[in-house]
Amino acid sequence: MNELTNRLKVDFDASEITERKPGLTTLKVAKDKAETLIRELRDREGFTHLNFMTCIDYIEDGIFTLVYMLHNYEQKQTLGIHVDIGRDGEEMVSIHHLWAQAWTYQRELREAYGIRFPGSPRLDEDFVLEGWDQIPPMRREFDTQKFSEERFGHREGRQSEVPRDHMKVTLYPNRGGDEQ
Amino acid sequence: MNLKDLLSPFFVWQRAFEKPYTSMRPTIDRPGAPAYRGFHINVAETCVGCGSCHTICQNHAIDMVPVEQFQGRPGDSGLRPRFDYGRCCWCGLCVDICTAASLRMSNEYAWITEDPTEFHFTAGVDDKAWQDNEHGYRRAEGYHLYPPKRIEMDMLSPEESVQSFDEVARGYNEEQAKKEADRCVECGICVATCPAHMDVPDYIHSIRDGDYEKGLQLMYRTNPFPATCGRICTRRCESVCPVGILGEPVAIRWLKRFIVDQVDAGEYTRILNNDAVVESGHRVAIIGAGPGGLSAAYYLRQYGHAVSVFEAQASAGGMLRYGVPSYRLPDADLDKDIEYIVSLGVEMNYNTRIGKDISFEQLLQDYDAVFLSTGLSVPSSMRIQGEDHPRVLSGLQVLADVANGRDPGIGRKVAVIGGGNVAMDASRVSRRLGGDVTILYRRRIADMPADTEEIHESQEEGCTIVPQAIPVEIVDAADSSQVTIKWGEAEMVQDPKGGRPRPVLQEDRMHEESYDCIISAIGQGSNLDYLSREIQDQLAIEWGKFSPGEYQHTGLARVFVGGDVANRTADAISAIEDGHHAARGINRFLNPDAYPNNNTSPDTTRSEGEQQ
Repeated sequence: MNELTNRLKVDFDASEITERKPGLTTLKVAKDKAETLIRELRDREGFTHLNFMTCIDYIEDGIFTLVYMLHNYEQKQTLGIHVDIGRDGEEMVSIHHLWAQAWTYQRELREAYGIRFPGSPRLDEDFVLEGWDQIPPMRREFDTQKFSEERFGHREGRQSEVPRDHMKVTLYPNRGGDEQ
Repeated sequence: MNLKDLLSPFFVWQRAFEKPYTSMRPTIDRPGAPAYRGFHINVAETCVGCGSCHTICQNHAIDMVPVEQFQGRPGDSGLRPRFDYGRCCWCGLCVDICTAASLRMSNEYAWITEDPTEFHFTAGVDDKAWQDNEHGYRRAEGYHLYPPKRIEMDMLSPEESVQSFDEVARGYNEEQAKKEADRCVECGICVATCPAHMDVPDYIHSIRDGDYEKGLQLMYRTNPFPATCGRICTRRCESVCPVGILGEPVAIRWLKRFIVDQVDAGEYTRILNNDAVVESGHRVAIIGAGPGGLSAAYYLRQYGHAVSVFEAQASAGGMLRYGVPSYRLPDADLDKDIEYIVSLGVEMNYNTRIGKDISFEQLLQDYDAVFLSTGLSVPSSMRIQGEDHPRVLSGLQVLADVANGRDPGIGRKVAVIGGGNVAMDASRVSRRLGGDVTILYRRRIADMPADTEEIHESQEEGCTIVPQAIPVEIVDAADSSQVTIKWGEAEMVQDPKGGRPRPVLQEDRMHEESYDCIISAIGQGSNLDYLSREIQDQLAIEWGKFSPGEYQHTGLARVFVGGDVANRTADAISAIEDGHHAARGINRFLNPDAYPNNNTSPDTTRSEGEQQ
């Protein structure tokens, strides 16, 4: 594995090569080199299986990190390829021509994060969120609580107390910052 | 539609009488996976009701509700989480954030009822079959949504610190403060325990926002000594901080200090905007310019009452100036607090001792109300032979001398008697004056009333603590510039009544040692000589201390009391609260129309009112 990652460092400027645990290594590669690197891993290095694709939202840095998890059955090695893209409308090359099932992941990523993979089949069809009319819900600026507050009713008779206020009323009603 | 469509339902029915393709098996109980996120389990006795589960829940599935078995008390709101399974999505964030690790999930997932309103329960309180379930999701060991360790305060090394009176704790920088502020879950459990009930979560939030002016305003709502308390507060808030259950409590004191340190004293008037005060025409006298007296002065000025402070010493601050060494509380920071209070138009009368320069009766005649906050200024006696030896000094005197820039003349070889903060301060001051310090204490180190931090730091600075050492007698030493103490080892004996263990002198294990001086620091008492016998009787004084009523009022109309002389905790923050609360009481008393049930009349001092 070291030999391989060293080569990827030279040939593809792969960085942040990290062995997460025995049999699982991750590395980072630039967006414009990603497709070629993944193709080479599939065709020449025995990483014939795409386990899954996913995405991490680093909203503070303004990036999405796409994760392509590949597996080599002969060597029992898994390799996670991390690719950063801008989180505001930046597109990514589709890999459905390398693994047909990739279009399903890409359709999911489009729905959950709003990432576009031009040419990926059925990209704009609903995946699990039929009739979704909000911003993609896995983007961290999506306010889950506000959404659930607006969309779903409350059970009758529910009420909650604020610990701090409850303690003021029960333990020190005439003290603290506010004159009664 | 053809004939087949019409007849097909009957063909299906025909199957009902044939041998089925599927086979009937008894219902098998299929337990969820060992780490399944099933129904919630809460260990209600461990839970402190901080409400972090409620706050983090994105679906509003959790309410905090009062529960009969649990009453609010320091460190526990008395509330417990109630789950609405109509909204829960089983994400487990409530388990991940739980400060007390009392909340987890079972691997139980089947709850069948025809009444949908039933899926609503208080975990650990309502009887549920899965409460004792051993499986299900729980937080992995070592996994925390916030760092369990606090940001370390940069301190002078012990080698450096004993060289000077420079402040030992250097303060957080902005990055450190923001990181530490991020550890706060903003539950507010600490607010009840803080004697002044400061708005702790709010001012910590102001650090997250970088809005230090807002932070300062929030602190002054309840405490006009934030620069001081940010350094030397006994910080009982931190002892109940839920973040401290699994990790280290949020460094509330250091965060308070950080806010004050960010704001220039020259900006206070603009930020705190006290110009809008409307003068009431009432006049209040305050005896003692310590934290209690000046806190009362600050809040009385907020109400628009004219305030005159009478102070026996040449400067204000009381124990904060004369009892707390400058390596813990630099004069400049104490002055930052005091000068702002005085700037609100408080009339200061220094070097004015009541009972000598002005009589107490005169004050009663000249003012609408009087607040007494004269503190504990008399060193307690060790009650042993020879303690009036000229080489026996009091801890308070040593500290006051150093604060006044005088040499207390301790010599080199010093013994300090006592285990409280004054003993630790006197010891560390003696180290800085070049002394070799031995601390003799009656009980175990764990029993010392001083802050653990102070005990630790005095040891780091090279003071030797000899625990379970009872002074027996003080005699002349062979060298006339020295003094000899005879002390005996003590055994700790359990109290049959269940009180704390008592040290018992072992007369066969006596020691004798000579020192250049012995510093006695075993406690302080009050000096109330300025009050006549008759007035003392009316004020209901017991053991030299007042027992004030709900609004710090006394059995003598128009007289209010507070601070060390009137509370059991005898620390700065309690005095500050006493002053604030007395100001509230005095304001009620002076405005009977606005407060018809003002509860400040003398006959209510023995009422069930809250006593601190």
